[in-house]
Amino acid sequence: MRSAIGALAAVVLSGCVAQPVKTDMSAFQAAAPRSILIVPMVNKSLDVDAPNYVLTTVPVPLAEKGYYVFPVNTTKMVLEQEGFYEADRVHSQPPATLAKLFDADAVLYVTINRWDAKYVVIATQVTVEFEYHMFSRDGTKIWSEVKHMQWQPDNNSSGSPLAQLLTTLVSAAIARAAPNYMPLAQQANRQVFVIGPNAIPDGPYRAALNQKAR
Amino acid sequence: MYDWGQYEPMLYAGYKDPTKMEAMRIGLETHIAELEGKKQKVPPGLYAELGTLYLQAGSSDKAIAMYTNERNTWPESKGLMDAMTRNLEKRRQAMAEVKQ
Repeated sequence: MRSAIGALAAVVLSGCVAQPVKTDMSAFQAAAPRSILIVPMVNKSLDVDAPNYVLTTVPVPLAEKGYYVFPVNTTKMVLEQEGFYEADRVHSQPPATLAKLFDADAVLYVTINRWDAKYVVIATQVTVEFEYHMFSRDGTKIWSEVKHMQWQPDNNSSGSPLAQLLTTLVSAAIARAAPNYMPLAQQANRQVFVIGPNAIPDGPYRAALNQKAR
Repeated sequence: MYDWGQYEPMLYAGYKDPTKMEAMRIGLETHIAELEGKKQKVPPGLYAELGTLYLQAGSSDKAIAMYTNERNTWPESKGLMDAMTRNLEKRRQAMAEVKQ
């Protein structure tokens, strides 16, 4: 975990630089959800493991934002018991049906558009793109966002050019064998839920905490 | 806001290699006991996740106890936790009847 964070600090992060449009939060505020159900992710990437890995990164930032977040692994088990083994089938269910099944105030659907690594000259470039849609229990869409992120090793360190080239080749080979997507996935969720221009409003537990601090 | 312990890396490890789910069960047990000892609130979902790991390991009594803890700590989970507990109790009753 610590090495993953270190790796993230050592690379150049580049998100979307286009000036995002601030979305209207009135539907979200009207629904005022206390609890959020995160259903398994639909996967459009070629990596079959991506949905489970991404699923692990979503609950913590959302709960820290002040919502009750339904336990994702338990949710998966319940859905499978109901016969939903495929995320595509879950996503095709109306939000109201899922909200009712779990008694949730809101349902979050995440699609993995990209989760890939490309070997570019001497560095490996890792790209993730997630799409998020949240619905209230009556089926109204209350929030959505798309996040595209990319990283590649930073080549600007000192040292002899040959040594530098060797280091880069070695780190690229490692990254190619097991590209480390997780810090990027965590960063994407943090930006989307917490620090981005369309971050969701604070949930009831955080609001209560803020009130106490005052 | 909460102390999650190793929840996220443990779940990741468990999805990567399902034999690691047992390590997650032990890790969650230890972490929850620590939080309870310090009178700190257990983060949303952790009791239930531990309950589900108990259930998958075949101990439905322990699962019911954890689902009850989740419901008592987080009222938003009441609907789901009650439904799961009811199902487990029904199943237990049916099995007891078969045995008789």
